[in-house]
Amino acid sequence: MAATFLGYPRADGSVGVRNHVAVISIMDNCNPVTRAICQAVDGTIAVTTLFVRGQYGHDLEVAFNTLAGMGRNPNVAAVLLVGLEEGTTEEVARRIRPTGKPLEAINMQPHGTINAVAEGTRRAMKLAIAASSLRRVSTPMSALTVGVECGGSDTTSGLTCNPTIGAMSDRLVDDGGSVIISETSEFLGAEHLFAARAVDAAVSKAFVDAVLRLEKEAVSRGMDIRGTNPTQDNIRGGLTTIEEKALGAMAKAGTRPLSSVLTYGEAPAKKGLHFMDAPAPAVENLTAFAAAGCQLIFFGTGVGNPIGNMVVPTVKVCGNVNTLRTMADNIDFDASSILEAGAKASTLGEGLYEYAAAVASGTRTSSEVLDVRETAISRFAPTI
Amino acid sequence: MPRAIVLDRGDNVATLIDPGQAGETCLLQGESGGEVVLREAVPFGHKICIRATAAGAEILKYGHVIGRAAKALAVGEHAHIHNIESARGRGDRKES
Repeated sequence: MAATFLGYPRADGSVGVRNHVAVISIMDNCNPVTRAICQAVDGTIAVTTLFVRGQYGHDLEVAFNTLAGMGRNPNVAAVLLVGLEEGTTEEVARRIRPTGKPLEAINMQPHGTINAVAEGTRRAMKLAIAASSLRRVSTPMSALTVGVECGGSDTTSGLTCNPTIGAMSDRLVDDGGSVIISETSEFLGAEHLFAARAVDAAVSKAFVDAVLRLEKEAVSRGMDIRGTNPTQDNIRGGLTTIEEKALGAMAKAGTRPLSSVLTYGEAPAKKGLHFMDAPAPAVENLTAFAAAGCQLIFFGTGVGNPIGNMVVPTVKVCGNVNTLRTMADNIDFDASSILEAGAKASTLGEGLYEYAAAVASGTRTSSEVLDVRETAISRFAPTI
Repeated sequence: MPRAIVLDRGDNVATLIDPGQAGETCLLQGESGGEVVLREAVPFGHKICIRATAAGAEILKYGHVIGRAAKALAVGEHAHIHNIESARGRGDRKES
């Protein structure tokens, strides 16, 4: 049984499973410079974003915290911030600095694009060479925080990939690690079952309140959420109602007690199983996991959703025999033996736990190798 | 013979894990057994009714409510959005 993995110890005591130099855009107008630097320097990842300029209040706080959270993520060895001007860049920098990791920043004002790309490339090169001198060390699995997600779900999701991820989640929690489940809308109809697992009444109420708040908001808009969640492809895959989808989605969280309720991108303060109140679409949800410090993500899929996260290796688990054939290049772990050969999810979960240790030690995922990765920070208010 | 999984003894729907054609006999597996004749073609992963269900009655899968029958469902009928209604997130209903 895998009880350890090989990881990169960081100055703040966390342990990374990757050793990225993250080049992070402070706002959308920085993305071209971020991409140019990353094209020039091996070992970097481009963490781009949309908006930020024109955001204010809570919405802007979430954006700054999420950008900084991705910089703080243990998978990031060093950070280069690419900003427009020094004030907003410092808002993100000061949130990363406490980790003690190497941190550089460049701004386009007043140097211009060509100078910003040149100076950014020079600094990123130095950071990448320094990061490459770090070595992996044997680390207990308890150092891991994993996000559990599902996307492109169908009726096989609740029977195969999600219970397999759930069995892996239970193993990790038992070994002292942390698991975060999210996607608030995907608890509609199953919230009473999950709430019963809360460690106390306050956690139970916080969780149920988050689900009911979301439902109230959807209802106040006067629309049936069906078609949006379940999505059109969920429905083609046989999922009929959000209640049915939720009962299958919840299986990803295994059976252990619910320790706390987190806001978008918030890191858990203790070990165990946690719920994060965040929108369900994969890219913005995985971005929140990255900001919360997850080192790995396990992503169950039925009809197939290829997307992964930039900072956090995303393991695609699928138990639909048709998708495993047609979208084989996007799947990392085959859970089809549950329906095809009567295998137990608990047995596959053991295999997935060993695979988690392998990916944490450096085995790459399909979405990393194909670079099908994207970043999006959720918006909570309009821009002005 | 197409197979369908029953997840709880009390369920009135089962999930096909093979595509099925009208008139084909479907083998029930999992928490309950037996055979059901399909009344129509049903795609892989979609559900069939395995117990006659009245209009307005609860639809049960995993032993839990996943919605209500929008019309009466007969055994062997395709059970999906055309005959099952969700009860959640329904801003289109005035009473919600």
